[in-house]
Amino acid sequence: MRIRVVDLGLVSPVRSQTVYHAVGYAFRSDTPPTILLVSTTDPYVSIGYHQDAEREVDLEYCRNAGLPVIRREVGGGAVYLDHNQVFTQWIFPRELVPSRVEDRFAWYVRPLVETYRQWGIEATWRPINDIHVRGRKIGGTGAASIGDAEILVGSLMLDFDTKQMARVLKVASEKMRDKVFQSLEEYMTTMRRELGTMPDRDQVVHTYLEQCSAALGAELEFGELTPEEEAVAAELDARFASEEWLYQKGGLRESGIKIHADVRLHEAALKVPGGLIRVIVRTHGGRIDDVSLSGDFTLLPALGLAAIEQAVRGLSTRREELAARIREVYRALGLQSPGVTAEDFASAIAQAVELAT
Amino acid sequence: MQDERVLVYRGCIIPLDLLYDVERDVWVRLEGEQARLGMTDPAQTRAGKLVAIRFKRPGTVVERGRALATIESGKWVGPFPAPFRCEIIETNQSGFERDILLANRDPYGEGWLLLVRPLAPEQLADLLPGEEAFQRYRQRIDELGLTCFRCAE
Repeated sequence: MRIRVVDLGLVSPVRSQTVYHAVGYAFRSDTPPTILLVSTTDPYVSIGYHQDAEREVDLEYCRNAGLPVIRREVGGGAVYLDHNQVFTQWIFPRELVPSRVEDRFAWYVRPLVETYRQWGIEATWRPINDIHVRGRKIGGTGAASIGDAEILVGSLMLDFDTKQMARVLKVASEKMRDKVFQSLEEYMTTMRRELGTMPDRDQVVHTYLEQCSAALGAELEFGELTPEEEAVAAELDARFASEEWLYQKGGLRESGIKIHADVRLHEAALKVPGGLIRVIVRTHGGRIDDVSLSGDFTLLPALGLAAIEQAVRGLSTRREELAARIREVYRALGLQSPGVTAEDFASAIAQAVELAT
Repeated sequence: MQDERVLVYRGCIIPLDLLYDVERDVWVRLEGEQARLGMTDPAQTRAGKLVAIRFKRPGTVVERGRALATIESGKWVGPFPAPFRCEIIETNQSGFERDILLANRDPYGEGWLLLVRPLAPEQLADLLPGEEAFQRYRQRIDELGLTCFRCAE
């Protein structure tokens, strides 16, 4: 098998997304399986196909900061991207791609994982579509069926700006933003972080292509886009930059901000007779990893709140289990909270996790 | 009399009372002038757990092979294709609002996706009835090395 490799180097933000869609839309029976390598000249925010831009991204901040927000036709969540990632985009004919989505990711991720390993980074595939290094995520991947092609996208994560990532998301409070940032710091990593120094893009790409050739048992041939693919990309540049494309309504999606395969952040507010309970919950593998409670209710003694936060760690998100544990804390510390019950706290936490966005 | 039997191959369930577009992995239940559509068991297995779905609006006319909805699982996005030219009458938006895993749990029942009005009767003739579809599916399931399971569990 021969594979066309096109290394486009640095291109505009919108083109770094439209180019693989274009190869997909222009795909014909004589189009070779293609691997595109591309980085963006300038930072931008990429949002998943089924996301609602206004709900997920701080569009005002992005506008003021001159950050384009671009919807892709691939799944997943909003992500801040800059020139420190090399996007690895595969556009393959359907018959060469594993038919189960999970198998497809395993197949696509292998050369990425092997590349990191060649560089001394202990990367592993974390199903369905993450790559982890000792529990930290070093990049996700996505996929789409477009035209007659199957597309898989991911990146070589030279470095990642967690601060900007946390900044561009739309969250209900700055406290939530801090939690997102802390969680990204805690649960993400990059080549730079693992190696202690910034690796050279071309050398990383060189390793990656060797690994692609080995994994696919294929001969790689450097090539270029065809005029037709270029033309489709130019059309898509305009479409992807349009407001109509960006502001289309999101689909039904599961709730929470996904940090990595096991870790999600959720937030909710619950109005009860004694006031408003605000809650931020981090779940790890479906269990509570961290909870932050606040609001305008009265709870005495005040240290009770921290005790509740502490007590629910490690629990499932089932309301009854949470309520039982919180009632114990109430009893042990003799907590008083007019108009707010242990069940209310349990409901607020459970609701944050269940909340459909 | 409807044939209520189901055939099973490598865990993949194919009810006999439905019509199928095996290539596009869509089942069809004719209901008078309308047709109910959904993902087959092999389709939900291949996709895995759904995390998102977006329906085209009722009233939209969709050509055969074009997307009636887009579905997302594990960051893969793909179309739910029309098995024939049709107009969307109703979507199962409310069902999926309650439970995004509806098609994974119950692909032929509560997990239906859309109710449509067929607009090209000649294209209906290309659909395969249960028994015939099952034979085709056996071949396809072998080719794909697929074993079905309810992805929601």
